[in-house]
Amino acid sequence: MRVGILSFAHVHAEGYAEVLRGLPGVELVGFCDPDDARAGRFARVYGLRRYGSAEALLAEGLDAVAVTSENALHRPLVEAAARAGTAVLVEKPIATTVEDALAMRRAVEAAGVPFMTAFPMRFSPAVRAARAMILEDRIGPVRALVGVNHSENPRRHRAWFADPELAGGGAVMDHTVHLADLYRWFLGEEVAEVYAEISNPFDPEVEVDTAGLLSLRMAGGASASIDASWSRPAHYPRWGHLQIEAVGERGTLVLDAFAGHLHGWTAGGYRWLGYHPDPARAMWQAFLTSVREEREPPVTWRDGFEAMRVALAAYRSAREGRPVAPAEL
Amino acid sequence: MRIGLAGAGTMARVHAAAYRRMGAELVAVYAPNRAASASLAEAFDLEPFEDYRRFLDAVDLVDVVAPTYVHEPLAREALQAGKDVILEKPMALDAASGRRILEAARSHRRRLFVAMVLRFFPQYRRAAELVRAGAVGRLGVVRLKRVSFPPRIDWYRDPRRSGGAIVDLMIHDLDYARWLLGDPVRVFARRVAVGEGEHVQALLRFPGGALAWIEGGWAYPEGHFRTGFDLAGDAGVLEWRSDDPPPVRTVFSDRAPPPEVGLPMAGLEEDPYELELRHALSAIATGAPFEVAPEDALAALELALAVRASAEGVA
Repeated sequence: MRVGILSFAHVHAEGYAEVLRGLPGVELVGFCDPDDARAGRFARVYGLRRYGSAEALLAEGLDAVAVTSENALHRPLVEAAARAGTAVLVEKPIATTVEDALAMRRAVEAAGVPFMTAFPMRFSPAVRAARAMILEDRIGPVRALVGVNHSENPRRHRAWFADPELAGGGAVMDHTVHLADLYRWFLGEEVAEVYAEISNPFDPEVEVDTAGLLSLRMAGGASASIDASWSRPAHYPRWGHLQIEAVGERGTLVLDAFAGHLHGWTAGGYRWLGYHPDPARAMWQAFLTSVREEREPPVTWRDGFEAMRVALAAYRSAREGRPVAPAEL
Repeated sequence: MRIGLAGAGTMARVHAAAYRRMGAELVAVYAPNRAASASLAEAFDLEPFEDYRRFLDAVDLVDVVAPTYVHEPLAREALQAGKDVILEKPMALDAASGRRILEAARSHRRRLFVAMVLRFFPQYRRAAELVRAGAVGRLGVVRLKRVSFPPRIDWYRDPRRSGGAIVDLMIHDLDYARWLLGDPVRVFARRVAVGEGEHVQALLRFPGGALAWIEGGWAYPEGHFRTGFDLAGDAGVLEWRSDDPPPVRTVFSDRAPPPEVGLPMAGLEEDPYELELRHALSAIATGAPFEVAPEDALAALELALAVRASAEGVA
């Protein structure tokens, strides 16, 4: 299958390029990126052809593209891909406003183009095993979820992550959606209410939030929390964590998705070096398979939309000092 | 200094063992009926009392390790009788009761030590010292966990007598958060029932924008107790969790039955209960200030009550 990458703005685009070059039967045709410095770097690093515009790349008649631009700039790329009849894998959060998200849905539905939200953690073996245990009722009904998806400050890699216009927010916009999606996926129900405390204790040079704690009520009554902070220092042994504890009636499940790691004392100092397969690879395989077999992608626009609304509800909650229902947005 | 235990339950046993190890003069135990104190009196060779007045005549210092709902009458009567008092946490069931105990200590000029034992756990103490020394910069997000199983003793499970998991258990971490960050400006909490127990997640916001997430509850199957902290500052992070391997471990085929009430233990010779009581006795003997003032214990109780009110939807 012939695949392209629309922008290297998001750090995940690099990982996708690695994955796509290693997938059998996949040709990574090229990429576009309006930033010359960034484009030059990735053209060199990956030996990839750069196209002058998304339209030029899409004119190659691709089967699928990754939309990995800045959060606020997904919409024009998705609309361009839809016009070209190309399936899209859209980076999370899928947008920074409800309006943009709805416009993307209209575009892909009108064109009959598959849309998948890039939630790679759904393809982590550890996450899948945890979900299976919940679905098999091993811990009984889930009453509480405790989630940590904190990380280092991504601004060190890409400045726009801390640009309120391009990112739509800071740490809360960056991280909330992963856990919000997994909670929905684990329990099969929506987030009914969000209360959030949002702050910037970690980076005085940016306007956006660098710390966010969310308290959620799931539709079925479970209490859930999300730590979406950029609270890990640059010298932390890894970028951060994705952890969930599910407190059930009969037991508690403790998930640490990246716990499988070597203790490495390498040239860069002490590092945690993961040895499990990259969930992004399984995500791409699932996406491309669904496109080839003309089935609905395993993670939908709706999944991306609902998770995004939780992040937006968190910002509104912090602004207004009250619990907010995502459905209000 | 003759010490007497007012109470003969789980904490009485823990304190008695600590007094014995440190060679303190533990002489008496009070319980409203002899049957309750018999085994403790025998195990530690203590004179048992059923009459609180006569018990007070036999001791110089009273360690109130009775259930929370009788803290106030026992502590106030002891203070009134001119005895110094060590009082188990939580000091009382409500703030007014806590204030009355403080006032009794003041008016009778006796020492009152509230046993906020978490401050004597070596890992919590070391982390607080490191934070004070600037090892992680300015704190931004503090995460504190303390989840156990529902106690098998009736009064603990009755919120009218124990205050519930927030007042009885989460108070440790609320006190620790205050120790690190001072008084919060805002509190939001959710509580859910888990079987016969409860699970609580609280968000706190502090002046200057630091945040804390605190998890507490009696929500695990019997015998399980997990604690931990993650203190993130703008220059570094301190992490500890009870899931980490302890300094000494055993691998046996049989498992000991779980205790009636989950108690975190630090292990090895640095028993925090002993450190705490050693400190209290020494400060009382020398007249030195306590490392955790009764006013701090009262503030922690007030914070716990605020968290509980938020969890109950009371503004």
